[in-house]
Amino acid sequence: MDYLNPYMIILVLAGLYMAWNIGANDLANAMGTSVGSGALTLKKVVIVAAFFEFTGAVFFGKRVTTTIAKGIVPLDAIKTIDPHLVVLGMLAAILAAGFWITLATFYNLPVSTTHSIVGAVLGFGIIAAMMDIIAINDIQWSILAKIVASWLISPILGAIIAYIIFLIVRFLFLQRATEPHDVERKFVYLQIMTACYIAFAHGSNDVANAVGPLYAGLNALGAADGGVPIWVLAVGGIGMVIGLATWGYRVIETIGTRITELTPTRGFSAEFATASVVILHSYSSLPISTTHTLVGSVIGVGLAGGLAAVDLSVIGKIVASWITTVPIAALTSAVIFTILLGIGI
Amino acid sequence: MKKFDYIRTVLDIFATSPFKPIAMHASKGVEATYILQKSFEAYCEGNMDAVLEYSRQIDSIEHEADIIKQTIRSEISSSIMLPVKAEDLFNFLKPQDSIADVAQEVGFWMTLRKCEVPQDLKEELKRLVEKTIETVDTYELLIGELEDLLESSFGKKDVKEALALVPRVEELEHEVDIIEKNLMMKIFNSENELGGAAVYHLTELVKLTGDIADKAEHAADRLRTMILRR
Repeated sequence: MDYLNPYMIILVLAGLYMAWNIGANDLANAMGTSVGSGALTLKKVVIVAAFFEFTGAVFFGKRVTTTIAKGIVPLDAIKTIDPHLVVLGMLAAILAAGFWITLATFYNLPVSTTHSIVGAVLGFGIIAAMMDIIAINDIQWSILAKIVASWLISPILGAIIAYIIFLIVRFLFLQRATEPHDVERKFVYLQIMTACYIAFAHGSNDVANAVGPLYAGLNALGAADGGVPIWVLAVGGIGMVIGLATWGYRVIETIGTRITELTPTRGFSAEFATASVVILHSYSSLPISTTHTLVGSVIGVGLAGGLAAVDLSVIGKIVASWITTVPIAALTSAVIFTILLGIGI
Repeated sequence: MKKFDYIRTVLDIFATSPFKPIAMHASKGVEATYILQKSFEAYCEGNMDAVLEYSRQIDSIEHEADIIKQTIRSEISSSIMLPVKAEDLFNFLKPQDSIADVAQEVGFWMTLRKCEVPQDLKEELKRLVEKTIETVDTYELLIGELEDLLESSFGKKDVKEALALVPRVEELEHEVDIIEKNLMMKIFNSENELGGAAVYHLTELVKLTGDIADKAEHAADRLRTMILRR
């Protein structure tokens, strides 16, 4: 196996770019809530996040990565026809998703990397079907339906769990204490735990967005036979940590200074709910958006009366991003694939 | 945040809390009432220049209060979820806003006519103003409880503590009413000595001053509704 194969280098670089984006923005969002409540300093949060994100990605990232790589489009079938098609398709998918995420980030749109990569992989599947490489029914529509359903369910589940957790915290601690402030101080320690938990959960689910197509491409090149190699997950983990260290800390700082309402009890409730929902989906091999789940969890705390003011207009923006992301990423991916194929790469 | 910064955040979900500006807004009303007390003293001493100056100060405080109120109102759009009903919040903000409004009217009313009041009426007027100050002070304590209420997410104990202040505001307002009625009687009893114009000016002054405590009591009552109906 030639490790200097140009396709391989490009795939790894494209995967690293996606991972960088995920670390710089999505991971930073998940961690920002811990800084906002003063549970951890910026430096500590970056160290904690880097360690647990990497651990989550390497030790628990396999299932979702396999779903992105092989669960939606039957790449093994395409591989037997021509492995080169898979390599180009995955390259197209990762470039399309990366492009859409870059654009969305510049405009601060609540677009999910998960939705982008799923749309992009699907786009390759559809164009492959249109070129009669596979049958349209070969695409795993039922799995896709499950994934899309989980996008709807995960924020709602986050809201329900955060709502219940906050009600319990309120009943057991806040309303019984003579000084609610003392309760908040004690929850700072619990929030450090949930910060680790949320980083681990995020790593286990979102690493797939970067390395799912990378793994599929490498598999087609014969560089990753059998299951997902640890080193591929490690590439994703390293990319995300670099994203956090080079850019994400700024995003965390921005969030931290602006979220003053999210005190440790509220932050704990939202983060614990988010991490639990995400890890549950990682276990079920379903790729979901951590950020959207976090938004759902914050709304849950708000519904329980824990926050001074929550702006629900974000829900509309998120729904709009759901509707637009998959078609746009799919179309871009199909176009890039056609171009790559057309110019004979 | 700059529009083209390379950042995607969850920040949009967190709206600005209206409760800190509400406390600031309440303190503007209290501040205006305190200046009114100084203005009364200057008025009784016949220092009309000072009365005019105090009136201007109250004007600017009232204006600041208006700006805070407008900010609060403009930030609570229909998509904002609060731990209380937005409608109840607006219903209580309105009488709270009137505290500074009425203080402004009183301040202005004093600039219109020189003081021609017998000494015993002056003493009574001072008592009226002192009681009004006490009422708005207690009202401000009540508003101060809002922060604790939010922190414990409306814990039973904090709700009880806050709501215990409402009857105290009501009681003080009642005491203001009694002083007001006594003053009215005394003013009309001295109508021959004072003359029609002075009687009119004084009764209006007393009535307006009494209104300040009325507004504080009204706001306290609405605040209780807001807390209980959430």
